[in-house]
Amino acid sequence: MGSEGSAGVVVVPRNFRLLEELERGEKGIGDGTVSYGMDDADDIYMRSWTGTIIGPPNTVHEGRIYQLKLFCDTDYPDRPPTVRFQTRINMSCVNQETGMVEPSLFPMLGNWQREHTMQDILIGLKKEMSAPQNRRLHQPHDGNEDQRVEQKGLSLRCVIM
Amino acid sequence: MSGGDGEEAAAAAAAATLHIRCTNGSKLAVRADLGLSVGAFKAIVAESCDVPAPQQRLIYKGRILKDEQTLASYGVETDHTIHMVRGAAPPPASTAPPAANNVTPAINATTASNSPAVGFGGLLHGLGGSGSANSGGLGSFGSGLPELSQMQQQLSENPTLMREIMNMPLMQNILNSPDLIRNIIMNNPQMREIVDRNPDLAHVLNDPSILRQTVEAARNPELMREMMRNTDRAMSNIESSPEGFNMLRRMYETVQEPFLNATTMAGEGDRSSNPFSALLGNHGSNQARDPAANSPTTTSESTTGSPAPNTNPLPNPWSTTAGAAQGATRPSPVTNARSATAGGLGGLSSTDLGGMLGGGSDTSFLSQVLQNPTMMQMMQNIMSNPQSMNQLLNINPNVRNMMESNTQLREMFQNPEFVRQLTSPETLQQLISFQQSLMSQLGQQQAGPERTQSGAGAGNTNLNNLMSMFSGLGAGGGLGVPSAPNVPPEELYATQLAQLQEMGFFDTQENIRALIATAGNVHAAVERLLGNIG
Repeated sequence: MGSEGSAGVVVVPRNFRLLEELERGEKGIGDGTVSYGMDDADDIYMRSWTGTIIGPPNTVHEGRIYQLKLFCDTDYPDRPPTVRFQTRINMSCVNQETGMVEPSLFPMLGNWQREHTMQDILIGLKKEMSAPQNRRLHQPHDGNEDQRVEQKGLSLRCVIM
Repeated sequence: MSGGDGEEAAAAAAAATLHIRCTNGSKLAVRADLGLSVGAFKAIVAESCDVPAPQQRLIYKGRILKDEQTLASYGVETDHTIHMVRGAAPPPASTAPPAANNVTPAINATTASNSPAVGFGGLLHGLGGSGSANSGGLGSFGSGLPELSQMQQQLSENPTLMREIMNMPLMQNILNSPDLIRNIIMNNPQMREIVDRNPDLAHVLNDPSILRQTVEAARNPELMREMMRNTDRAMSNIESSPEGFNMLRRMYETVQEPFLNATTMAGEGDRSSNPFSALLGNHGSNQARDPAANSPTTTSESTTGSPAPNTNPLPNPWSTTAGAAQGATRPSPVTNARSATAGGLGGLSSTDLGGMLGGGSDTSFLSQVLQNPTMMQMMQNIMSNPQSMNQLLNINPNVRNMMESNTQLREMFQNPEFVRQLTSPETLQQLISFQQSLMSQLGQQQAGPERTQSGAGAGNTNLNNLMSMFSGLGAGGGLGVPSAPNVPPEELYATQLAQLQEMGFFDTQENIRALIATAGNVHAAVERLLGNIG
């Protein structure tokens, strides 16, 4: 870009930002545990997105695949998108009934920076799953996911008993 | 440059190059047609890595790819990246990695040695529970889940009851013959199916030493607790090691889940077995809490059940043989006779209290009473004295009210002939059978007082049982007129026949024959029927 004589910081328009994130989602840049993409390829405003988080190891979330919805309105990236879990999850910053991530409980959404991306949100949520208050929470049994080992272990103990 | 563009165009038309990223960070390129279905694409990916197709979870742009869709429908294009996660093994477990792949042999050996005995302990718990409910009934193993859970709960709350059941001659004879136990277990079709699928389980059932070890564990609460602790520790160790989860899951799905389905008679599939797992989970948590709370409750119930406040503390002459011997050596002035009378009523209440914990205990206790000549003589002396009988009845307020409201009942008890008939062993055994059926009907009420841990509630239940027995006896006996002997056996032994049916003896003619031969004694009839089977 031509920045001759311009003293201010270059502001990337919304569509260019979203297109860049879309390409990064397609290429899969990152550690391979989060993935995201547009919900509807024909949406010219690119507002509705789908993301997945693979549960981090050594936690109750291990082996689970969490599916989320992210909604980027026209004021993104100046304001954070709304994040909602489609897969049932028990976390301190997630509303149990609606699956919405509470900005007041999730600092990345509460203290939003323009430089944050949707990938950063997903990685932040994955780190939140490894936090001490969430690492041992009992997770709801979701029919779409694989069978939980803890419940079967409990059944095994009861049968032995 | 134009030549290069042509080559790229040709390659794109033939097959697209897709990048696969695994969870462990490795990356590989796969060439596949975009029109392929996801299932077929997984098969191609399986050739390049060591994850079988059923265990692959493919994620692209935030979506989990489903096997029925095509790659093009998800918008996959060349040079795009698809994330792959290794999922859980499918239920058949045919594609699971070989056993003990990443597990220490010592841990595996520990589990292999512990699981069969402990698993059979659970089986024997169910067996003991059925025996407690149905006076040694053995064919009813695998009855409904609520009844089984209730029996197991009562059994685990009272180690003394377990010891008493195991020491009964009937149980000893059963456990000493492995053939009989194998026959009992094979009566259940699902158990037979499990044994056909698992030769190791058949070996466990046929090994007398394992049976004996299981009986010892069930009889000794400390040993049972220690075995459970060892099993939990072994399972935790396995769970912590790599691939330990898969091994535990495989063990559960191969042995314990069919076992659980067979026990609960709910073998309709994995979906229907999940609710039972939750129920058993709750049951397990309840068990951990009950034993500590049950001990003081039993003590308070024993105290409340004794309706002799105006007498000095007297050891229960009916509780043990030593008490009986002590009573026999005592002289018999009038004061001591009154004390014996009060003690007798206390013993009767203890009998009812014991009956709350299970029919088996009641039967065993009363059998001991009937076989003791001193106790029979003492009861004879009490019954033959009208004044002692009146004092006995007046001590209890509820019984006194019942006597005042029903003069016929009072006259009945004043009648020496009726009292003599009541004292005869045959009548007492019929009374025992009647009480057993009454106990089974009042199963719901029994649980209520125990749950609330209310001594008064327990006392009321005891008295209700007592009054029901008296009312039934009065209605059946009339005014001292014995029951007609020419009543058909089906009507005469209707209660006993129902009990035998509940135990699992479904041959009505055989049951009637056994009951006639044993004069209506369910216990002896069961022994006779089992003798025929053996």
